[in-house]
Amino acid sequence: MNQMTDLSKTDTSPMLRVTDLTHKVSLEADTLTILQGVNLEINRGESVAIVGRSGSGKTTLLGLLAGLDTPSEGKVELDGSEISRLSEDERAMLRARRVGFVFQSFQLLPALSALENVMLPLELAGIEAPEKRARELLERVGLGERLSHTPRQLSGGEQQRVAIARAFASDPVILFADEPTGNLDNRTGQAVSDLLMDLNREQGTTLVMVTHDDRLAARCGRQLHIEAGVLTEPELVEEVSG
Amino acid sequence: MAASQKLMSVSRDWRERDVRVVLVALIIAVATVATIALFASQLQRTLVSSASSFLAADRQLEAENGRPVPAGWIEEARDRGIETGQMIEFSTMVFGESGFQLVSVKAVSDEYPLRGDIEVQSRAEGTRSIVGSGPAKGEIWINPRLLRLLELDVGDTLEVGNLKLEISNLLLREPDGGFRLSSLAPRVMMHVDDVPATGVLQEGSRVEYIYLFAGAENLLNDYYQWLEPQLEPSHEWEGVRDGETFSRSLERAERFLLLGGSLAVLLAAVAVAVASRQYALSQRDTVALLKTLGLTGKGIGRLYLRRLALWGVAGIIGGLVLALPLFWLLARMLGSVLERPVDIYLDPAALAPALLTALVSLFAFAYPPVRRLRNVPAMRVLRSQPGETGREAVPDLIIAVLAIFGLVWMYAGELALVASLLGGLVLLLAVLGLVGWLMVSVLRKVRGGGNAWRLALVGLYRHRQASMAQMAVFAMTLMLAATLVLVRSSLLDDWQAQLPDDAPNHFLINIAPDTVDEVDAYWAQKGSPLDTVYPMVRGRLTELNDQPVKEAVSKDERINALNRELNLTWMEDLPDDNRVVEGEWFAAGVTEGVSVEAELAERLGLELGDRLTFTIGSEQVTEPVVSIRTVQWDSMKPNFYIAFPPDGGLTDMPATWITSFHLGASNKVALNEFSRRFPTVSVLEIDHIIERIQDIVRQVTQAIEAILALILAAALVVMAAVVSATLRDRQREGALLRTLGGQQSLLVRSTMLEFALLGFVAGILGVLAAEAAVYALQVRMFEGSFQWHWEVMLPVPLISALLLALFGRWQLRPVLSVSPMLLLRRLE
Ligand SMILES: Nc1ncnc2c1ncn2[C@@H]1O[C@H](COP(=O)(O)OP(=O)(O)OP(=O)(O)O)[C@@H](O)[C@H]1O
Ligand SMILES: [Mg+2]
Repeated sequence: MNQMTDLSKTDTSPMLRVTDLTHKVSLEADTLTILQGVNLEINRGESVAIVGRSGSGKTTLLGLLAGLDTPSEGKVELDGSEISRLSEDERAMLRARRVGFVFQSFQLLPALSALENVMLPLELAGIEAPEKRARELLERVGLGERLSHTPRQLSGGEQQRVAIARAFASDPVILFADEPTGNLDNRTGQAVSDLLMDLNREQGTTLVMVTHDDRLAARCGRQLHIEAGVLTEPELVEEVSG
Repeated sequence: MAASQKLMSVSRDWRERDVRVVLVALIIAVATVATIALFASQLQRTLVSSASSFLAADRQLEAENGRPVPAGWIEEARDRGIETGQMIEFSTMVFGESGFQLVSVKAVSDEYPLRGDIEVQSRAEGTRSIVGSGPAKGEIWINPRLLRLLELDVGDTLEVGNLKLEISNLLLREPDGGFRLSSLAPRVMMHVDDVPATGVLQEGSRVEYIYLFAGAENLLNDYYQWLEPQLEPSHEWEGVRDGETFSRSLERAERFLLLGGSLAVLLAAVAVAVASRQYALSQRDTVALLKTLGLTGKGIGRLYLRRLALWGVAGIIGGLVLALPLFWLLARMLGSVLERPVDIYLDPAALAPALLTALVSLFAFAYPPVRRLRNVPAMRVLRSQPGETGREAVPDLIIAVLAIFGLVWMYAGELALVASLLGGLVLLLAVLGLVGWLMVSVLRKVRGGGNAWRLALVGLYRHRQASMAQMAVFAMTLMLAATLVLVRSSLLDDWQAQLPDDAPNHFLINIAPDTVDEVDAYWAQKGSPLDTVYPMVRGRLTELNDQPVKEAVSKDERINALNRELNLTWMEDLPDDNRVVEGEWFAAGVTEGVSVEAELAERLGLELGDRLTFTIGSEQVTEPVVSIRTVQWDSMKPNFYIAFPPDGGLTDMPATWITSFHLGASNKVALNEFSRRFPTVSVLEIDHIIERIQDIVRQVTQAIEAILALILAAALVVMAAVVSATLRDRQREGALLRTLGGQQSLLVRSTMLEFALLGFVAGILGVLAAEAAVYALQVRMFEGSFQWHWEVMLPVPLISALLLALFGRWQLRPVLSVSPMLLLRRLE
């Protein structure tokens, strides 16, 4: 398992390749095109920020990249597998082993303690000794004293730190974050993004992050703009990354 | 304000699952309770009317001293608006062309029978018909056997004393002739006004004056209040409820219905409580928002109160809309087997429990959690607050338990029932606490993994609070449902055992000692062998421990057995259905002592060793009590208060023999030949009555099954309500699990397993608690004996596990059918 992850991390093929992706949803009367003609390639270990106005399609794109949904048209290849070819269960397996998530609204389970929330993906991936790893991660994010607390007993920043610990728990190769600091005040947001970037570097994870926060976007290696469902990439950034 | 009212509108309500559950629970509660109460009231009326027909009236006053009662007594009854009628019963010789015969005469007034009807035949081979009154003056109706004995024909005359009467009908069945064995001689019926002209009644003849009364229950009771002080010991006031087989069967059915109704009330209360608590929790965000918009706690209280009231109205209307046709159907079913069906009557009083159930459910169970909504902090809008701890719900629980107690008590009116059920419930909760503690400490050790079993166990531990609450409700629901099913089967079994298809339906009375063997051989050869044949000696109990019995026993004790001649017998073996409760049955060779029936012994205050003196003809026999035994009075077999051992005190007393046996309809013709060969033997045909009882039992059984189905439906609603209480949380969890990479199949398997485990444990607890409750009920209420019901020990937990697994699967459905992306969007 770990070997496989290590192998993929030294691989030179792109982590994520999107070709001619278009996404539509049908509403009662007509169909709404949310994303149009998106082409994108993200290499292993890269960190990419997606910025754009509210309603421009960022969350939708992120979901498609992560295989939470399948596009109406086009191809998404995640770590070598074309996700629209996979069955729902195969996609679930892929997510369990390779993908981590951080959401704007944390998405912790209210019935579970901090520790249990972090253990959840480990159990799903069938990883041995899930509790030990979960404890380590919670200590790493500074919540070693709060293991048994439920989300309601934690502040927003603390909840997001639990969510980050959970995201890294199963040792993913790629991490998707949707406005991870969107619900937090400036300083807490700063602390959380520090934590996210640090862990990302330590684990050598590929990071795809949607954010409104220019400073956080600036800390990513690459920035993509999205407007009304169309993705553009400023030249400057390409030069830097090249 | 307009917007907030819109937020509260009923049509919007209906779209909310929790509200629907509350409403469905209310509707089922009202429907079940109303149907049962209406049907029980109908059954009660049927019972009274059928049992009344056994007396030919609602009440009888018997004067066994050979003198009419003062005319003023009867006038008083009429003045009070009570219908009255009169009969005179005596034995005499009648004379026909070709001989004479001892008959038992029943002379009746025009009003006879006040209840029930008479079945007659106008010619020997004619058709049977039902009539509503007895013979006119100058006419006499006779038993067909007498026709053969005296070689008479319809239309001939028969002399009763000095009076010649025309035989105008054959008397086949009289309503009040049911089970009494006093009529040894063939019956004739004549008009009461003809009696003086016969001249047979002299001072001192054995004659009974019987007065019939019918009317509203309260009138009769008031009248009896008035009459009682004036009654003499030889006067006996008889009501309808006294131990006829028929009324016993229906009484038990009635009790069963009451029990069923109580359980329905309990189930409904639980469903309403669970659903409304869930509803209240789901309303917290809305309330917080309304508060930030400036609505006061009071205003919020008012809004929700109005809402509850609306639900109440909707629940009651919905419930009645369901109950009325159902009741009508059941009552029709019951009516279809009665010869004279009681009109379907919508007893308004029977609706009261249903309305009360709805109101109490709403205000004792639904209101408390909703009321607490007023205290939701507005801050909740900004930051989700810690949820309710269980502590705030404790007063609710106390209110709820008291309300349940009160409701069931009011409904069933039986402390024993309430105590049995609540005792069972408390026991259940205690065991549940223990199991919960065990579960938590064992499951704590389980660690998750990709394996569905481990995930399920971990899931149980993680949702331990919800799991325990659900387990409590499931176990309770299962207990109630299982109790009902168990009581029902034992009730039906009892009925079946009491009146099997081959139950004795004919009595042979007055068999001369020297023809017993011949009679026995006759029926054996006809293929309808006799049950045990008992000797019967008629005698009175006159002294108790050498004191006149009427002095020995306190005056207030009105004891039937003392007022009339008793049928005494001797027997070697204890009849199968009798049970010795004190002392010992006669050992072989013992010739001393008597065995006394338990109820009589209790009423006379008899103890082992007490000496009883019987007067038989001119002789006296004195024997000590050596055993006290219970008797199955409704067994349709000869039963005796007093039994002697063979060769005991009764030897050499003038005895005739009596027996009962089953005679199939196809074999009935054998009776004709029998009457010719053994003209002195009386045949008491009760096959007709038994068929009627069997029919009624069948119909009541069906009604009970229908009501049981209704209650089981209520149980399912409760379960659905409880499962869906955690629906939102579980769906959120399911969505997230999928996002984090949980495979659908794993999710499905672990959820189903988790619920199945929950259901299994709840099933075991429920069955055990049901056994405890059934034990209490069986012993206290249904006078039955208790047995373990091994046959349900495994199926109930298994069914419960399966049912819950399916519920679990069903609630995962929305989580499985759409992409995780959409799920997350919905959950935001
Ligand atoms: N399932 C759906 N049905 C209807 N409309 C949808 C659906 N999914 C997305 N949309 C619409 O598509 C558009 C893009 O949505 P998306 O959530 O991707 O925006 P976003 O860029 O993440 O915005 P924000 O910054 O506010 O989170 C929005 O207008 C949204 O309403
Ligand atoms: Mg978004």
